[in-house]
Amino acid sequence: MARTPFKVEVLTPEGSVFDGEVEMLSTRTEVGSIGILAHHTPLLGMLAPTELKLHVSESQTVRFAQGEGYIQVADNHALVLVEEAITPEELDVAKLNSELADAEAAVEGAEPHSEAMRRSLRDKRRAQAFLEVAGAESA
Amino acid sequence: MSQRDVKQRIDSVKNIRKITSAMQMVAAARLRRAEQRIAALRPYAGAIRRMTRQAAEAAGGEVGGNPILQEHEQERTVAILLVTGDRGLAGAFNSQIIRAGLRAAEEYEAAGQGVVFYGVGRRGVSSLVFRKLEPAGAYTGFTDRPAYADARRIAEDLMSAYVDGAVDRVEVFYNGYVSPLVQEVREEVLLPLQKATIDEAIAEVADEEVLHHALVEYEPDPAVILQRLIPDYIEISLFRALLESTASEHGARMTAMQSASDNAGEVIEDLTLEMNRARQAEITQEIMEVVAGAESLS
Repeated sequence: MARTPFKVEVLTPEGSVFDGEVEMLSTRTEVGSIGILAHHTPLLGMLAPTELKLHVSESQTVRFAQGEGYIQVADNHALVLVEEAITPEELDVAKLNSELADAEAAVEGAEPHSEAMRRSLRDKRRAQAFLEVAGAESA
Repeated sequence: MSQRDVKQRIDSVKNIRKITSAMQMVAAARLRRAEQRIAALRPYAGAIRRMTRQAAEAAGGEVGGNPILQEHEQERTVAILLVTGDRGLAGAFNSQIIRAGLRAAEEYEAAGQGVVFYGVGRRGVSSLVFRKLEPAGAYTGFTDRPAYADARRIAEDLMSAYVDGAVDRVEVFYNGYVSPLVQEVREEVLLPLQKATIDEAIAEVADEEVLHHALVEYEPDPAVILQRLIPDYIEISLFRALLESTASEHGARMTAMQSASDNAGEVIEDLTLEMNRARQAEITQEIMEVVAGAESLS
């Protein structure tokens, strides 16, 4: 059964990558996975790198590898604000693998509790999440 | 110079003019794209401001506490980030940044402070290396079209250095974009981030754009969201500086190539005049010879 659509905009520093109506949006905040339907209560969330799925209709889903960011839901309108939103086809698996290896090496080399450590862990998490999205694509 | 030599020079100057006017057109097209990218950043930056205001109000209005907002007690080491381009042929675009950065470094050193350089763009990096001022961070290969990820990587290096205490202040020098014809050297303090910057940014948000607190769900706590929003200001400022620098570079190259093409035009005019004169002289010579021959016969 078709669900009620609502407006979603996905905005990155390099411009808008999606602006339209969807039936459901699914993503992950720092707290956990989240699915948003029409008439959701107002929300401000902090997003973690994951796969952003926009169910436009029963047969059509738009997918992105989403970097860190924020989501704001108000007045039946969702704004997804992310550092990057890359379509699965555009993901470069070889590059992500080398970024993951670099991040893992940096985690080994960094002082515990330093800013450098925190940041390497973030890079590692992003590379892992994007590789998962890329893997889901090839499967 | 013989007529033939002049003709060859005219041809070679014409070829140069073809190249410079092609470069001028390429720069003009890239400039338009760079301008669009500056415009594309605005809605994102505006949305970040709205969310900061929302999170700050929900968290009790206090923005402080983030280590990048804390001034260090002593400013022992200053980091200077020079934003240049990967390529030359753009007038004073690269050299004015390098000059301004080196002058600032001299002043800090005279005051007894240490200076660490960071360089964006091959031109800046290679001129630092040439002066034996090995940069602590060198970022090249993207100045034609910087991505947000580039700004983020640089910002994270600088923020780590600041928070971990390697540097006590970070300044950035870049070509601010005023118009296609005008670029100005801008010097901005990136770190520590001034609390006033954030206060001003969120003051621009209209009250009706902020949701009523009691109704809003936060995931996670608004104070945690706020802590992640603050470093975004550094990333956005740096990304804007990179985009403006790119637009300025294309503008400067367009202007430089325009004047190179104009100069080539003048040279061609002068040479053509010279060639015509040489041809006229040759004709005169021939006529005189014919006349002299005819006279000797009569």
